Amino acid sequence: MATKAYDKSFREEVYQNVDSGEDVKLCMQCGVCGITCPLRDEMTHGPRQLWSLIRAGKRDEVMNSPDIMLCTSCYSCKVRCPRGVKVIDVMHGLAHYALEQGIVPRKETSKFGKAFWDSIYKTGRVDETEVPMRYTMMAGPIHGIFNMLEMMDIGRALLSHKRMKFKIGPGLPPSKKIKGMKGLKKMLNKAKAMSPGKEG
Amino acid sequence: MTYFLYPGCSLEAGGSHYLVSVEAVAHALGLTLKEIDDWNCCGASIHYVGGTELQTKTLNARNLALAQKQGGYDIIAPCSSCYIQMIKTAHEFEEEPKLAEELNQILAEGGLNYTGGVKVRHVLDVLYHDLGVERIAAAVKKPLDGVKVAVYYGCQTTRPYGEYDSVEDPHTMDDIMEALGAEVVPFEHKAKCCGSGIFFTEMETCAPLAGGILGEATEKGADMIVTACPMCQMNLEIYQSRLNKILGTEYDMPVVFVTQLMALAFGGDFKRDAALDRNIVSAAEVLKNAAA
Repeated sequence: MATKAYDKSFREEVYQNVDSGEDVKLCMQCGVCGITCPLRDEMTHGPRQLWSLIRAGKRDEVMNSPDIMLCTSCYSCKVRCPRGVKVIDVMHGLAHYALEQGIVPRKETSKFGKAFWDSIYKTGRVDETEVPMRYTMMAGPIHGIFNMLEMMDIGRALLSHKRMKFKIGPGLPPSKKIKGMKGLKKMLNKAKAMSPGKEG
Repeated sequence: MTYFLYPGCSLEAGGSHYLVSVEAVAHALGLTLKEIDDWNCCGASIHYVGGTELQTKTLNARNLALAQKQGGYDIIAPCSSCYIQMIKTAHEFEEEPKLAEELNQILAEGGLNYTGGVKVRHVLDVLYHDLGVERIAAAVKKPLDGVKVAVYYGCQTTRPYGEYDSVEDPHTMDDIMEALGAEVVPFEHKAKCCGSGIFFTEMETCAPLAGGILGEATEKGADMIVTACPMCQMNLEIYQSRLNKILGTEYDMPVVFVTQLMALAFGGDFKRDAALDRNIVSAAEVLKNAAA
């Protein structure tokens, strides 16, 4: 019977370019992470199988798996992994890597996460009024307003319970920036340039 | 005793009642809290969508560097997401010399430097280990007699290192609740995940997680869920009506912060100190009877 060699190029790609990707090497395939995951029933592969697919060179299956963005960051797998794999960091690293290549593992979380990060990058903090508004409006002008109206009851409840600042719309008024925003931006740019897969 | 307070973005908005009550409790127990001047966001649970891992560590390293420059006191991070992000960076800075060097190269871009050693603490850690249950019990003026609570830590509160409590079966908040005179019901979901940072955008998928928590609390006859995480508080409370729609349930379960009940039991004002008027699913009736 003919044997087929695994394609090793994808695993090397993950080890080098994905944040914490090298941790995949530590996995011994025990499956504790998969069975521990609170969303195990919603996942097709789960972490253990994803690591196995990475080693087997199954690039398309891994990069297009919605599982890589279904991690709630609960750290249950992290605290139980007998090999100390940074399971959460690898999942997040894979999701970030996929997004960078134009693959969108989960549409809504991708949009919200983008609005979230933009707020950090522009002001240094997350404005809990601004970010949901910007996220909602990403659905386009018509759907955006429709979605905004659907969220009105939540917004009103938060406002009347002193748990939200009032805004007429995104940027109205603009969110406050931290004093050291210029320096923080420089730091974040430098950090990006020094991240795996970004050097040189 | 002086500590830094890292409120994080949440305690300035959706978790404002946490901030008010943390400050009231600190005042009642003689702790001095200083806010880290010009702190930035920790990146929270969905940092990875826009940022790389090193960028998220940069966010946290900047806060650690500021804290060191401003006095180096232990940092209290009441939000579990802030806590986990900041303590991860603090630990990895100590354990990985290469990362420490990289972070200092990055911090230098903004004229900062960090040499390590600043401690990151959860508010439960400080309450339980620095003050202790006996001192908390001694401060109680209006015990929460007859109040049945389901103590819910959430997933991130004691993780990933378990520095001050078990990562699987924590007890610190249970003990604090008993010190206040409340009745703690057995609660298997105490450290289970509610959906955390993807709850809002994946509500249908995460609904069974949050539903399991609300369901068990209801079954066990709890008057309210007590938590120490603003994300849990928000997911379980603000969206409870949405969850009821998705799951076909009729939960009506208040979700309050541990510090709100402490402030009340210490004789503080319902609004000014405990900020219990800010809870959308109100716990007023049962608490007003108990702490009258």
